[in-house]
Amino acid sequence: MYQEKAKILWNNQAGNEYYRIGLTCHKGYSGAKPGQFIMLHFPGRMAPFLPRPFSIHRIIKTGGRTAGIELLYKVVGKGTKMLSGHCKGDVVNILGPLGNGFIFSNHYKRIFIVAGGIGVAPMLFLASYLKTKGTNSSECMVFLGGRSKDDLLCSDDFLRMGMKIHITTDDGSAGDQCFVTHPLETALERDRPDIIYACGPLEMLKCVAGISEKHTVPCQVSIETVMACGMGACLGCAVERKEASGNYMHVCFDGPVFDVRCLEL
Amino acid sequence: MFRDGLGTDKSRLGIKLYGFIDMNKKKSHMRVNIGGITLKNPVLTASGTFGYASEFEKLIDLNRLGGIIVKGLSLEASRGNPPPRIVETPCGMLNAIGLENVGLEAFVKEKLPFLKMIDAPVFVNIYGKSIADYADLASRLEDIEEIAGIEVNISCPNVTCGGMAFGAYSESAAQVVRAVRKSTTRPMMVKLSPNVTDITEIARSVEGEGADSISLINTITGMAIDIETRRPKLANITGGLSGPAIRPVALRMVWQVAQVVNVPVIGVGGIMTAEDALEFLIAGAVAVQVGTANFINPHATIDIIEGIEAFLEERNIVDLSDIIGTLNV
Repeated sequence: MYQEKAKILWNNQAGNEYYRIGLTCHKGYSGAKPGQFIMLHFPGRMAPFLPRPFSIHRIIKTGGRTAGIELLYKVVGKGTKMLSGHCKGDVVNILGPLGNGFIFSNHYKRIFIVAGGIGVAPMLFLASYLKTKGTNSSECMVFLGGRSKDDLLCSDDFLRMGMKIHITTDDGSAGDQCFVTHPLETALERDRPDIIYACGPLEMLKCVAGISEKHTVPCQVSIETVMACGMGACLGCAVERKEASGNYMHVCFDGPVFDVRCLEL
Repeated sequence: MFRDGLGTDKSRLGIKLYGFIDMNKKKSHMRVNIGGITLKNPVLTASGTFGYASEFEKLIDLNRLGGIIVKGLSLEASRGNPPPRIVETPCGMLNAIGLENVGLEAFVKEKLPFLKMIDAPVFVNIYGKSIADYADLASRLEDIEEIAGIEVNISCPNVTCGGMAFGAYSESAAQVVRAVRKSTTRPMMVKLSPNVTDITEIARSVEGEGADSISLINTITGMAIDIETRRPKLANITGGLSGPAIRPVALRMVWQVAQVVNVPVIGVGGIMTAEDALEFLIAGAVAVQVGTANFINPHATIDIIEGIEAFLEERNIVDLSDIIGTLNV
């Protein structure tokens, strides 16, 4: 875990409301796992008051060395609006890598990745991580959903890695007009995967969880909640366990990636 | 074996402390005494914002802290309030964590071994649902040598029984403090709520019952509403406001209390920088607690310690006590 001032390497628009920002970081991020996140804050600013969590989208490497991290973000509120106005060379405060990433096991051969909207952010990092683990890309299937074609990101990146991809949109402007969980279930019934990794809106995750339970396929989801510190001090990011028993879990240190069987979504 | 590990660790962590002393410049004395305990500097961590300290181990040298006040502890583990528990507000935040904590047994087993290794006094913030709970908890902590003192929490706004219910009236505040005093010989700090008509009255009353020091303020009760859903933004409906938004209120209350009690006052409320801390010290606080700032800048406590030190040295103030309570009115 490192607290540092990070210089912005680039902050490029990646669609209507989406941006990719490159940040310098400590070389220790070479050990970051997909699904881990950072807290980002603007130095000396009282608004937004609290830092904001962002999952790591990509590790930037130059000559094999870790030179930075890239975040993919959507402008949704004050914080992200302000971030989108920052330029190359500006400095932000970052703390990370935080939380627990997706867990990979060597017996995962056939892998489904489900991403809805900005939920794709950690999934590109996951996909490249899976490649380094020797996963056969043709056995990986990506289900990418969005409201419209403007909300579909990274499809080319997944294709370039040799992964199969299913696209759905709510308005039918690209791919099939349905929820991303439709092709997921169809594909799953045809050929069971060893694991489903998912990140996206809560309603999508609930549906993915339902499919995973119905077909008894293991599933890990990455979730987001409001949080103040990102490191286990504030306890603001409480989430309910399955069956609402015992103590709460906390997104920042128990997650943000959870085995869907443990979590009450 | 454990003791060996402890010694090694302390010296390893201690290196940074003495790493660069400018021999030409006279070092100002930062030591303060808060009701029987000498702190190496006046900066403590506020309860509920610093976990059990281990969370910050990788980010700061914990041995440099004036003191550590750990997350509010109860006899039994408590799961706290349902989410959402926090919401950002202008220059601050509302929280309704509800004193989620591991309980005494797990605290002793899982958290204390780490805390023992830190070369800074550790205070345990305690709360109970009844006066007997407070007394019981205090007496059980009495056996643990490594705990420097306790902070009696009669001011949490987010639990339905206990907490602020006791701190809101002089009589009930006095009853809790009296019971805890009978159960402990350790230095006892009492944390006051600002959600009262006259905080000086409560302060005098807890001082009368044997409080060794008084910390103030806990959070100010507040709320926030989502205008689309017309629902409260916190599941608990109300929460405690913290951060710079409450600093002027905290400062005023610290100033008022410092004038009417003889025991040391510890200032808490929206301290983000050394300048903020100095305001409290000038108003009469002998030490300060840094809370919400830890969430935004985990290094805040160290920055504040260094900032106060630099302030004193730049003005050739030899001893921190030369500025405490020196408000010119």
